[in-house]
Amino acid sequence: MATQRQLIYDYLRHKKKFPNIWCAGCGIGIVMGAIIRAVDDLGYDKNQVAMISGIGCSGRMPVYLDFYTMHTTHGRALSFATGLKLARPELKIIVVMGDGDALAIGGNHFIHTARRNIDLTAIVINNATYGMTGGQYSPTTPQHMLATTAPYGNIEQDFPICELAQVCGAAFVARSTVYHVEELQGYIEQGLEKKGFALIEAVSYCHTTYGRLNRLGSAVDMMRALKENSITRQAAEKLPPEELQGKIVRGIFVDREVPEYTELYQKIIERAQSGGKA
Amino acid sequence: MQAGEESQAVEEAPPETTKPRPKRRGKVTVFDNWCKGCGLCVAFCPRKVFELGPEGHPVVVHEERCTACNWCVYHCPDFAIVVELVEDGEQERKTGQAVGGRVRR
Repeated sequence: MATQRQLIYDYLRHKKKFPNIWCAGCGIGIVMGAIIRAVDDLGYDKNQVAMISGIGCSGRMPVYLDFYTMHTTHGRALSFATGLKLARPELKIIVVMGDGDALAIGGNHFIHTARRNIDLTAIVINNATYGMTGGQYSPTTPQHMLATTAPYGNIEQDFPICELAQVCGAAFVARSTVYHVEELQGYIEQGLEKKGFALIEAVSYCHTTYGRLNRLGSAVDMMRALKENSITRQAAEKLPPEELQGKIVRGIFVDREVPEYTELYQKIIERAQSGGKA
Repeated sequence: MQAGEESQAVEEAPPETTKPRPKRRGKVTVFDNWCKGCGLCVAFCPRKVFELGPEGHPVVVHEERCTACNWCVYHCPDFAIVVELVEDGEQERKTGQAVGGRVRR
């Protein structure tokens, strides 16, 4: 495995773009490190990897990485990625989205990309708020928590991202936190190797807006809370549902073989070119 | 006489089982111009290598404690920490070389 210094030189646009714009202690940088180590471990050529993002804090990630990158419109990262995958099926495509980007603005794209099971690796960085625009509540803000648009507490239920992807038919679904970054890196590697739609949720609560409004403490306190409040899926299955309230369940939820979209599409092309005989 | 010397020599040679395991040691470099001073490395380092400096940036105080576990490298959101593995006994040789340095020019 390459050293960190080599990784910085190989995968980051280190001469122009650093230091990054994220707040001190923000987990997006930790996820970015996990992605470059995963790509390096799997031995991919960096010119065979494309990274696509939408809008938001996580949308800044393609700016810093030396892959083929695309910073697209809000919520439409998966649509651009679908088009790219159909045009260039040999590329490994990583889609980075925030929770608002993936589930509110791009909610429909998310559902249908998972349903199609196209070979993408989607990483949803769940910070439980709209961080860049000032802390409005997002679809994943836990119930009763405060946000700038919910000063008396959020009355909506939060969106379970992994369960949603699971019922939509994704081939690989996993969740981890930025504290458990080595586990997260393993899931990203498995997702990249998986033929089909892989969804990885990386829990990294925003301490600048969500944490400050809810008095959850500093970046260090919130990182410690991720360690203490998370539980593996195996351990969670043994606990009664009441004790799982407010816990983050980590682990692989789905790993299954589902027919992949670009392969099926290629077969349709061949069938059409042979006059519908094959 | 000769036999006695031989037995003494055998006793002095440490048997394989009691040989101490080679220690993993790390050389820690912090890039201050990339660091934003979030304090994650200071708070979580299992060997307490860092201390918070006057400008809010971590300062490597106890480098001899570092076991190159890479916790700080993996969790630094700003890519501001590099830990290089030092083989046992190489510490002295490497000190004269420019191992540190800034990534940004």
